Amino acid sequence: MPLVVMTIIGFALLGGTLRAAVYDSTALSTAGTVFSGVFVQALPFLALGVLLSALIAVFVTPDRLSRWLPRRPSAAVLTAAVGGAALPGCECGSVPVARRLYGEGALGAAALTFMLAAPAINPVVVVSTVVAFPGEPRMVVGRVGASLLTAIVMGLAWSRWGRTDWITRRLPRARTGQGSNWQTFIEAARHDFIQAASYLVIGAAAAAALNVMVPDWVIEHLAGQLLLGVLVMALLAVVLALCSEADAFVAASLTMVPLVPRLVFLVVGPAIDVKLFAMQSGLFGRAFAVRFAPATFVVATAAATVVGLAILGGGG
Amino acid sequence: MSREAENVLLLLVGVATAMITIGGAYTRYVKPSMLPWLAVTAAVVIALALISIATDIRRGSAAEDDHDGHPHHGSVAWMLIVPVVVLIFVTPPALRPQAVTPKVTAVSTEVLRRPFPALPAGRAPEVSIPDVMTRAAQDSAGTLDGRLITVIGFTLPQPGGVDLGRVVLICCAADAQLARVHLGGPAAAELATYPEQTWLTVEGVVLPGAADGDSTSIPTLRVAAATRIEAPANVYA
Repeated sequence: MPLVVMTIIGFALLGGTLRAAVYDSTALSTAGTVFSGVFVQALPFLALGVLLSALIAVFVTPDRLSRWLPRRPSAAVLTAAVGGAALPGCECGSVPVARRLYGEGALGAAALTFMLAAPAINPVVVVSTVVAFPGEPRMVVGRVGASLLTAIVMGLAWSRWGRTDWITRRLPRARTGQGSNWQTFIEAARHDFIQAASYLVIGAAAAAALNVMVPDWVIEHLAGQLLLGVLVMALLAVVLALCSEADAFVAASLTMVPLVPRLVFLVVGPAIDVKLFAMQSGLFGRAFAVRFAPATFVVATAAATVVGLAILGGGG
Repeated sequence: MSREAENVLLLLVGVATAMITIGGAYTRYVKPSMLPWLAVTAAVVIALALISIATDIRRGSAAEDDHDGHPHHGSVAWMLIVPVVVLIFVTPPALRPQAVTPKVTAVSTEVLRRPFPALPAGRAPEVSIPDVMTRAAQDSAGTLDGRLITVIGFTLPQPGGVDLGRVVLICCAADAQLARVHLGGPAAAELATYPEQTWLTVEGVVLPGAADGDSTSIPTLRVAAATRIEAPANVYA
């Protein structure tokens, strides 16, 4: 506690020097602005997600949830994927929510499916994709279809191969016997916010650094190169860590890139990027994140490419 | 890290959010329309921190908490000091145009040409640079044809001329794009001598011919009059 106060006072004294250093360097000020952009943009969605996850901690016990969900894992995964449409927001909010919903067996697969589906197919994201690609409804259909496919495949894969002991991060146990619903709510919200926001900082810093370092020519040389385009756009979605409500507009503006790679960009981004990887390792544990994130990346890229080729055609 | 220290950091994150929201610096990072959401978020985070602090004090000793089986977050909560320092003490500036990548137009080509709504009445209505680009490329109603308009942006000297640009935010500073129009006509020659990033209000008429549906062509504005101005409060379009 005294350490925190002293650190803050130290930074306050250094503030002027620090500020001058950042303002003098184009790279530093761009990185600082992009970091602030990603963090400030994510904060309201994170707060919404955390309030929701705290409500879940109070009212949705694993028993109750497994009574609502279909018993069979495949049916539970399908229900969760479609249920993802009910959480309007971008991907930062869905990680803490999924962590609270997570449980043994079918429940775990369903929670992870929900985490992947919610940021990609909720109404806000669908509408922004429609607006960004007027006259190209196949992009919207492709995005929803490929994102649902990714979430369902990953959910089924988890129920087949996933192991709960990879999830090393434990949630604080609700105190039995003492404490009201209100205290449980505050404690859960406090825990989830601190945990998710700390990792959001790491992710936003990584996105800012990469944003400054990715050279312009990467994108300018992708015209007519389908396979290379798919790969580069998938990686770009991971490193840029855009909000899923905004990425459609960025994809729309990359007019020199064919449509299929741009669809890959829209499907991969909400499923996995550097900030989501950081948040997953914070809330679920590193052993989980290093397995789940690369698998998500491969599945999302493949699903988007297949769906894209099927409905948009190879010419793009 | 102790519970009290975490609560203090939580409080500071809320205060930092409140400060950039009230001070207006948030428009450098996100769209102005985020204002109500940021205000609510700041209030929620500050309330969460204050309630946690009050609960711990009322419970007598927070130290007791350290032994009742609560896992602690380790040192990662220290990360929260980064946004506190960046937002309160540094407050990074708005993006400069040379920082904006990819340097492409903010207009989609997958758009069918369609009639746009008429421009506002008046001698020279203000039209944003992205709107000028979209209308020049896609408007089948010709709302820009022969019409005197006012645009606001900063100068971007080019080989053999000068452009007027404006950074466009879609969602936040991570997805910024650069929108631009060429400045043409005799009056543009003087503007080309201004230093880079001089803010201008320019009155002029968009030259016909750019309206071929190809959004990669940048429209040209024939300058009638130009005035140097201070940078606007919200520098993004």
